[in-house]
Amino acid sequence: MKFKLFKEAKRTKTGYKNRSRMLFVFFFMMICFAALALRLGWHMVIKGDEYAQKALKQQTDDSVVTAVRGGIEDSNGNALAVSASTNTIWVRPKTVKGNGKTTEEIEKNLSEEIQTITEILGMERSDVYDILTSDKTLIRLAKHVDDEKADALRKADLAGLEIVDDVMRYYPMGRFGCQLVGLTNDDGDGMTGLELYYDRFLSGMNGRWISSKDRSGNPLVYGTNKYYSTDDGYTIVTTLDMNIQNIAEEVAQKWLKQSESDRVSIIIMDPNTADILAAVQTDEFDPNDPRAPRAGDEEKFAKMSDAEKVAYWNKMWRSFLFCDVYEPGSTFKLVTTSIALDSGAITTRDGFYCGGYTRVADRTIKCWCYPGGHGNQSLAKAVGNSCNMALVDIAQRMGKNTFYNGIEAFGLHKKTGVDYPGEADNMIYTRAEANIVEISTMSFGQGIALTPVSLVTAVSALANGGFLLEPHLVKEIRDADGKLVESFGRTVKSVPISAQTAQEMLEIMEYVVSEGGAGKARISGYRIGGKTGTANKPVAGGYSSDRDVFASFIGVAPIDDPKMVVLVICDTPKVKNNQGSNTAAPAAKEVMEAVLKYMNIQPHYTDAELKRLNSKLTTVPDLTGDDMEDVIGRLAGKHLNYNLSPALEDPNSVKLMVTDQYPKPGTEVNKESTVTIYYEIITDEEENNETH
Amino acid sequence: MAEAAKKKKKIRIKSKFGEGDFYIVVTTLILSVIGIVAVFSASYYTAISKFGDPNYYLKNNAIWMAIGWLAFIVFSMIDYHVWSKFALPAIIVGFFLLLLLFTPSSLGIAKTINQATRWIQIPGTGFTFMPGEIFKPALILFISWYFACKPSRAKTLKGFLPVLIVAGAAFVLIFKQPNLSTAGTVLLMALGMLIVAGIKFGWIVLAVGVGAAGFAGLIVLKGSYWLKRVTSFFDPFADPLGDGYQVVQGLLAFGSGGVTGVGLGRSMQKALYLPEAMSDFILPIIGEEVGFIGVMVLLAVYMVLLWRGSLASVNARDMFGTLMAAGITIHLGLQVILNVAVVSASFPPTGVVLPLISLGGTATVLFMMELGILFNISKQASEKETL
Repeated sequence: MKFKLFKEAKRTKTGYKNRSRMLFVFFFMMICFAALALRLGWHMVIKGDEYAQKALKQQTDDSVVTAVRGGIEDSNGNALAVSASTNTIWVRPKTVKGNGKTTEEIEKNLSEEIQTITEILGMERSDVYDILTSDKTLIRLAKHVDDEKADALRKADLAGLEIVDDVMRYYPMGRFGCQLVGLTNDDGDGMTGLELYYDRFLSGMNGRWISSKDRSGNPLVYGTNKYYSTDDGYTIVTTLDMNIQNIAEEVAQKWLKQSESDRVSIIIMDPNTADILAAVQTDEFDPNDPRAPRAGDEEKFAKMSDAEKVAYWNKMWRSFLFCDVYEPGSTFKLVTTSIALDSGAITTRDGFYCGGYTRVADRTIKCWCYPGGHGNQSLAKAVGNSCNMALVDIAQRMGKNTFYNGIEAFGLHKKTGVDYPGEADNMIYTRAEANIVEISTMSFGQGIALTPVSLVTAVSALANGGFLLEPHLVKEIRDADGKLVESFGRTVKSVPISAQTAQEMLEIMEYVVSEGGAGKARISGYRIGGKTGTANKPVAGGYSSDRDVFASFIGVAPIDDPKMVVLVICDTPKVKNNQGSNTAAPAAKEVMEAVLKYMNIQPHYTDAELKRLNSKLTTVPDLTGDDMEDVIGRLAGKHLNYNLSPALEDPNSVKLMVTDQYPKPGTEVNKESTVTIYYEIITDEEENNETH
Repeated sequence: MAEAAKKKKKIRIKSKFGEGDFYIVVTTLILSVIGIVAVFSASYYTAISKFGDPNYYLKNNAIWMAIGWLAFIVFSMIDYHVWSKFALPAIIVGFFLLLLLFTPSSLGIAKTINQATRWIQIPGTGFTFMPGEIFKPALILFISWYFACKPSRAKTLKGFLPVLIVAGAAFVLIFKQPNLSTAGTVLLMALGMLIVAGIKFGWIVLAVGVGAAGFAGLIVLKGSYWLKRVTSFFDPFADPLGDGYQVVQGLLAFGSGGVTGVGLGRSMQKALYLPEAMSDFILPIIGEEVGFIGVMVLLAVYMVLLWRGSLASVNARDMFGTLMAAGITIHLGLQVILNVAVVSASFPPTGVVLPLISLGGTATVLFMMELGILFNISKQASEKETL
């Protein structure tokens, strides 16, 4: 057969078999179609919803539109915390090396990029080099970069750079009230202080933008596109006054050095509203870099484990004034006295005898002047002498229930309810636990631990006519447009004492400053009241030495129309005269003097004061029966110096009581002249109960 | 006779095409219109992001579809018997083109994309085509011619052995590209035509047995990779990022469509989630936009076309016509089945386009050409009803 390339097929007939086979093939294909239709039905109808959900998840971009966090302001509208939008720059070092094939190319790319970054961000070349050549996948190049620089970087279109929008919390006043204002965490939520307490007002309501996007993340014009608008956070207006806070701050820092204390804390309250005008503690931190260790702690900090660091930070961020308790010591005598006065158990005319010690149940409680004694004293004098025996007597006269009812009426058995997170509980014996011994020591401020804020709140009741108010740090909440949302004013919780008792207490306090042991708090032209306290710190099994004390002063100014209650606490002053009269009282005086001036309260000099101011004379006070603390305080109030006879190398190493003096009391002498003091030394044996 | 007259009244169109099967034209038209719309809808997002012109693929597709219709008209008017003369040259050219792919890449003829050498580039132009696609109609023509010359060849192994050799050789050459799907299509088309040609039932059983054994052998030999492809039938989401990415994205599109679809043009999955949305994986996008109902309608259109193709084969004037129509119908049906099987995660992912719908190029023109021949076969059969 000859091969023929173009050979037409013969017109052979199609057989029956061929036709039926074709129909068979068609039938087979239809079976496949049916099977595939079922399969598609399975995916599209039965599994449809499930797949659709999965698809939706990958197609939908659910992005949070962050609400701008509200600011925190002082009462005059000065910003204490603001939110600013910033940018954080991240780098992927591997991408920076880019497409360079040779080492030279890579180096060239790198050096060009470093050049651009240094120019835009103004960073050190070597720092940028280190980051860009890091072996991490993603590393932060810079944070808090402003929009202008970020845009410049964006334009430069550098390889491996990612610019992320960020909201930064910034504290324009820096250390000003840092523990009070508090901090936010990395997510921008309140973490400590007012930032935490008022977080739900500050944070606002984040918006949401739900939109369909393509695989590259670009939004689609069709599909879902919903926007839930953002409600920006409210602004918190605090009761703090930046000027008063600054005054307190300066004085605290000054007296931190002067008294060589570990810490000086000052809290100032308006007794009429319980507004906290200032709250200062000298151990501050920089809220704009809150995780940096304090100066001097760097080495110690570097060695800490993560848990230790967290503990360190928590301690640093903690507010002593709200979250810690301390033994108030003699300042608490004001509370005891006012309860007794109000109950009628004692009157201002009552006399109190101090023999240096007293027996209570099976215990001997001694006055600080033991083995001497204060003898017969008026109530004011007893408080002025800070006589423990008198207070034990007062407590016993009113009895436990009256005492406890009073303590409860002063709100000291529970938290004050101040708008600050983590307020500590006061430590007070329960009514059931307290027997006569506990009552007796509590009367002069021992065996009881209070938060500074609760003491200031209680003493404010003495200054405002007898009302216990709820202390607060925030007076107003305003929305983003400045409209008032909520305001917090005067909230009366109870009326622990009558107006009359309050007035009597103010007079006693004034006496303590003008005639008693708190003379260093005197301010010419103003009527100042107050009480010092020097409390040994409780340590395991008893009390610390007299060198390890909380020296404090609580003052009211001015007495005729109280505008402030000031509590100054010096933690462990190391100067020789470490008593409250010598450390806290003069600090408080400086605070009160400056704040009175700032409040524009005019001085009214009494005739005697004017005469003394004009003349150079002053009256020698009666020092008999006083201890060293009182001597220092009272002579300082009269602008007099002292001279011990016989001379003592360290007057603070022993306890002494004045037996006589020269010149005699009432003598008019020149200011800055010296009073010679005769004394007897009180032996230190078995002393474990003194507080004064 | 009355029955015949009744039949004559039915589906006859009188035009310059002569009397042909109206359904073939109509279904082809419907499919090409669906194809134009679907490709545009599925491609415009990609077109914008790649070329900045939403109509980029639409224009491209419209041009090919126009050429395709030209081919349909021309081939429908040419007596199909003419083609039998070219059966031998066609299969020789087919093999020649397949062999061209083995020329060194330095010659610039064989073009490799994604490590597969499937394309021939005409030097000096950007025009490329797949020899594998051209081989398919050549093979249909060759087998039809071979058995038409002497139908009894189907009765003995010796008789149809040349067909096995041709198909087997083509399978090996195409498999080497590698292009398993085209190679498999070639083999299955040959098998289908052999069945229609009338080989003994035993051979069919043997062929199916060998096929199944071959598939099982692949799983055993290639191990876990193929096993994984089989298991993906039951759990398509097992490998959503790797090989299964396209399939999974396709299923998500199907699922999003549900029963009635999200609406024409509103597919989300085409927004770069589903690569090849306008070619191999166009059915999921159609499914997403018009739903299960729409997909069933589309499959029904295919079924009508396949039925009319089968009828043309059955009613063909002679053996050559029967086998040509059978080959064309089987080619079309096989491609649809494979494509749907792949996108519905019923078959391992291989590159099979959906005839007339997927973004075409040469494949569309070749299909239109085949359908033109089919129409011509139906036209000549109409004169003599035989079944």
